[in-house]
Amino acid sequence: MTHFLKDLSRSRAGLFGFVLLVVIVALALLAPLLDLPDPTRGDLRARLAGPTWQGLFSPGAHPLGTDEVGRDILSRLIHGSRMTLMVASTAVVLGGIVGTVLGILAGYKGGFIDRLLMRLVDIQLAIPLMLLALLVVAALGPSIRNVVLVLALTSWIRYARIIRAQVLSLREREFVQSARAIGASTARIMFLHILPNVLTPALVVGTLELARVIIMDAALSFLGLGVQPPTPSWGRMLADGRVYLSSAWWTVTFPGLAIVLTVLSVNLFGDWLRDYFDPKTRSAK
Amino acid sequence: MTITTGKITMTLSKLLTTTAAATMMALPAFAMDVTIAQTSAVNTLDPHGSASVGLDLSVLSHIYPTLILRAPDYSLQPSLATDWEAVDDNTWKFTLTEGATFANGEPLDAETVAWNIARVTDAENPKRISSWFSQIDGVNVISPTEFEITTSSPYPALPAQLSMFMLLPPEWASEHDPVTETMSGFKYQMTEYVPGDHITLSPNPDFWGEAAQFDSVTFRVIPETASRVAALMAGEVDLINKVPASEIARIEESPNATAGAVDSTRSVFIKFNTEKAPLDNKAFRQALNYAVDKELIADALFDGLATVSNCQVMTPDYFGYNPDLEAYPYDPERARELLEESGVDLSQTIEFELPAATYLQGEEVTQAVAQMFGDVGVKTEIQTMEFGAYLDKYRAAHDLGRLSLLGQAWATIDADGLLTLFKPGNQYSYWNDEAFDEQLVAGIATTDPEEREAAYKKATEIMCEEAPVVFLYAQPATFGASTRVTYEGRGDDWLRAFDMSPAD
Repeated sequence: MTHFLKDLSRSRAGLFGFVLLVVIVALALLAPLLDLPDPTRGDLRARLAGPTWQGLFSPGAHPLGTDEVGRDILSRLIHGSRMTLMVASTAVVLGGIVGTVLGILAGYKGGFIDRLLMRLVDIQLAIPLMLLALLVVAALGPSIRNVVLVLALTSWIRYARIIRAQVLSLREREFVQSARAIGASTARIMFLHILPNVLTPALVVGTLELARVIIMDAALSFLGLGVQPPTPSWGRMLADGRVYLSSAWWTVTFPGLAIVLTVLSVNLFGDWLRDYFDPKTRSAK
Repeated sequence: MTITTGKITMTLSKLLTTTAAATMMALPAFAMDVTIAQTSAVNTLDPHGSASVGLDLSVLSHIYPTLILRAPDYSLQPSLATDWEAVDDNTWKFTLTEGATFANGEPLDAETVAWNIARVTDAENPKRISSWFSQIDGVNVISPTEFEITTSSPYPALPAQLSMFMLLPPEWASEHDPVTETMSGFKYQMTEYVPGDHITLSPNPDFWGEAAQFDSVTFRVIPETASRVAALMAGEVDLINKVPASEIARIEESPNATAGAVDSTRSVFIKFNTEKAPLDNKAFRQALNYAVDKELIADALFDGLATVSNCQVMTPDYFGYNPDLEAYPYDPERARELLEESGVDLSQTIEFELPAATYLQGEEVTQAVAQMFGDVGVKTEIQTMEFGAYLDKYRAAHDLGRLSLLGQAWATIDADGLLTLFKPGNQYSYWNDEAFDEQLVAGIATTDPEEREAAYKKATEIMCEEAPVVFLYAQPATFGASTRVTYEGRGDDWLRAFDMSPAD
């Protein structure tokens, strides 16, 4: 752990991403404890009020302004981050589990299973992911569960490809050969010997996937296929506010910034994480 | 012999109109190009293939003639028909302009009108607008400029309906596809068509009436509201509509443009599916009407530009409008009492369907109403859906959610039409009230205006009391126009260059 932090503190970009991510996650987790206005209730009389720093700590203050039905944008941003992070991380973990298991299976077993799974991956890669997501959500109906499912569906292929490649080299290594020699079952080898060795690449893929999935989630809810109003979500806030883009810039600027900063922090941290776990770049330092 | 005389008269009058048109065009005051922004692209060029007044029909109304034109003040004005009258309950007689022709020389006479009506009433080959004319029995051509339309039952709204009915040239249509090509018979002709992007029109030099005012008219597609407003303020377009109410003041500040709003004929309400519990409960339906602060919505969301409905779905422009009704006051206490009285289980969550991007600020209104319902203890869950998907549920599947946001208007601006959408047995109704049905039947049994008005007065009273909807407001018809033109706005959906004129 100390080595991890020491290495992190040496990378400015990695540290920046890490700190930003910690702040965003902490805000999301602590949202119910913060004394924020209800993100789903608005005051129509106070709609489209601009950001103001006056009386910041008084109860009726809207530091980032209000949206088109008079809801506090700061509160919606913070509560929206819960939804975004929850949806994105669930989808990435779900996709990760499926992708890793199938990747190990394909890599270790080879033969027909490998060919079948990799052709499935090829087929899915040939379909634009956004189109696939739109089709599935349109068919199943918009709900949080369906969005998580569809995002996981677009995510497993990357894990499967990378894990399979790792397994192809791992299965020729001595420790796997010796496990096989003493008669360990295939399942035992796959999950006790190989799995621990592919967790690191899976983690790296996971962080990079997280950034992609956050953007896709925002896009889906921008198109009205994500969570339903009045539940706050960043993409939806962008969509609803864009009508007022030129007269009430705060309705789209802040959700846009939130998406950019979150994705940036995840990407910076993910990049660093990849370098950190990659023996080649580490020994080069 | 008669035929020869007719031909001479025709040639003469054609010569006269051509000369007149040429003189008009020479005037420099008319040398002006205008651009009109539309929210989506035209679907078809066949005027019988679309019922979308605000989109396809608006563009085509520059190219094809109608018998009657509806002016911005909703009055019916002569166009190809110079005169029309109800001969008896089931017969209308029309007189046509003499010597009118299409640009290819085909005559615009009674036979042409008869051919067009036959085209849309052909049961073998129905068109999108065929249902408008289901009551028509036949057309009786008296002379090239006179004909009668007979109907199976009294059809007082026929002239209004004909103001949306455009005429195609029969011979041309037999050799060309009207869906993709046009042949002018009115003020403008199409000179350029880039599907999905723009349509450019230029004056029709052979037009038989008052010549076009602009050198060219371009319809440009700009779906995004913010982009339409920006284009207007930058001087790129001259006319836009569907502007959010709060943007009007901002447009007014710009030196290039003005903006405004008029009451539209479209009434927005929360439609109840009274065929499903608990919306079959009258006390519950009334409670929801008391629960909504209509004034606040009109003032805050629409800057006071929307007019709160007085307990009916018709606006004052409709025939059959009842001026004596009063809106349910905003009274959450009364709403809670009625909810208690109704005995409805309030722990349930009721679906609230919202057709996306369909009504002006519809998303905002829905969320505001849902919050007001929540305040009196009625839990709702908003379900956004594509307008097409909503329409499928509403019309084809007949499976509307228990609550949904809906805005309805009827182009003939007559109670016969708009109220028919609530008639028992109608696919759109979701409310089966026999007493209401009786009054609607009485309303179309005659063409006598007083008897009809009396029937609709009773019908609207019943509807107010029974509350098959939460009556909300008349959607404001908002618009923005450049200072190069004068435009007063209109509350039906027509978007026409000839409603504008060059500013002095």
